[in-house]
Amino acid sequence: MATDPRANDVAAYATAVRTALGDLPADEKTALLEDLEEHLSEIAAESEGPLNQRLGAPEQYAAELRTAYGAAHPRAAKRRVGLQDLRAASVWVSRSSWYREFRAFLPSLRPAWWVLRAYLAVLVLASWFSRGTDLRPIPNPFSSRGLLQVIATVVAIVVSVRLGQTGLSRDRGVRILARGLNGAIALFAFFTLASMGTYPSSMVGDAVSQQLTGAPGVYANGPVTNIYAYSKNGTPLTDVLLYDQDGRPLTVDGSATGLSTSYPNGADGQPITNAYPMIQRKPDGTPVVAPRVAIPPWPSPTASPTVSPTAMP
Amino acid sequence: MQRVEVDNSQFLKGVLDLAVLAVLGEKDSYGYDVVRRLRERGLDSVGDASVYGTLRRLYQAGALNSYVVPSDEGPHRKYYGLNDRGRKTLDQSAKAWASLSGALNQLLNGRSHENGH
Repeated sequence: MATDPRANDVAAYATAVRTALGDLPADEKTALLEDLEEHLSEIAAESEGPLNQRLGAPEQYAAELRTAYGAAHPRAAKRRVGLQDLRAASVWVSRSSWYREFRAFLPSLRPAWWVLRAYLAVLVLASWFSRGTDLRPIPNPFSSRGLLQVIATVVAIVVSVRLGQTGLSRDRGVRILARGLNGAIALFAFFTLASMGTYPSSMVGDAVSQQLTGAPGVYANGPVTNIYAYSKNGTPLTDVLLYDQDGRPLTVDGSATGLSTSYPNGADGQPITNAYPMIQRKPDGTPVVAPRVAIPPWPSPTASPTVSPTAMP
Repeated sequence: MQRVEVDNSQFLKGVLDLAVLAVLGEKDSYGYDVVRRLRERGLDSVGDASVYGTLRRLYQAGALNSYVVPSDEGPHRKYYGLNDRGRKTLDQSAKAWASLSGALNQLLNGRSHENGH
């Protein structure tokens, strides 16, 4: 292409036009002259003789171009229209009755926010100080830290509501700081709440039962809360000691269903937790009784239909 | 600009947008083709730079779309065509032109009638 005299002509002509329009802003020049070379190439390809002859002097061409392009300023006009649209839309929204009702409704939510932000602030602090442990949305007052959380929440609510009622000083810096704090609490609380909801309740339950008994729970179409052992002929057995495949005492946990278990104490004073059936009471105090069981009929040795081969004469 | 007489190019400047939109409304074209088609229709005073500048302005204003068509002989051609906005502009401008030219024709006809009597 570079050796083509036509291409050289186009390049020289385009350069001259660009030079003549050198005073235009860079973005405008790009917009106008983006495909000048292509356009000039078309003309060069479809007409005889040099471009100068066909189009006149590059300076003249540039002047005509400037007039045609600058007749209206599309980019500026476009921007103005966009801003106007935005302004009109905001005016329309702010004048609408539903927006005014919405604005009038917002202040009534203030006390709710005062309480909520206090709770959220304590929640954020709690998540900060109890990293690695499961955070519960509602503090459990029966754990030491939970009691602290409850007290902190109550104190925080009182302080927060008081602050909200008295209002802040007129100082602009204080107002900006308060706004920032409110925003930060909302933001951090969002992440704290989001991370809290990631455990399915069953997983939390499993973790708790593991902590209590030190062994995974036993399941048989549902949690097993007790084990009843019978001899071959259906006699109920008591104080049967069960161990798993690794020799660990096999324990089941009835606390999840509200049952209380009293373990017998060994001679060393330690409770024996794997002696079955365990003695349990329901939440209302009534003792748990053994279920009805169907003992499978064992083949009696005398009535055995099978005959061993050694008995054959 | 001491010239008092009004020639075609003066008229054309005002309606070049409409003329270019109308040409592209018939079918998509590349720059030089637009110039040629305008001249074929009798708008022979139209300048190449004016058409090119108008095309670029209409494109920047969002009235046209453009695409490059590779060509075996000669340079690749940048085609322009009307988009929805361009078609809308063409319709509105055509209506405005029709009412303006109608009014002007009536005015001129009245003059010619006066002259005739």
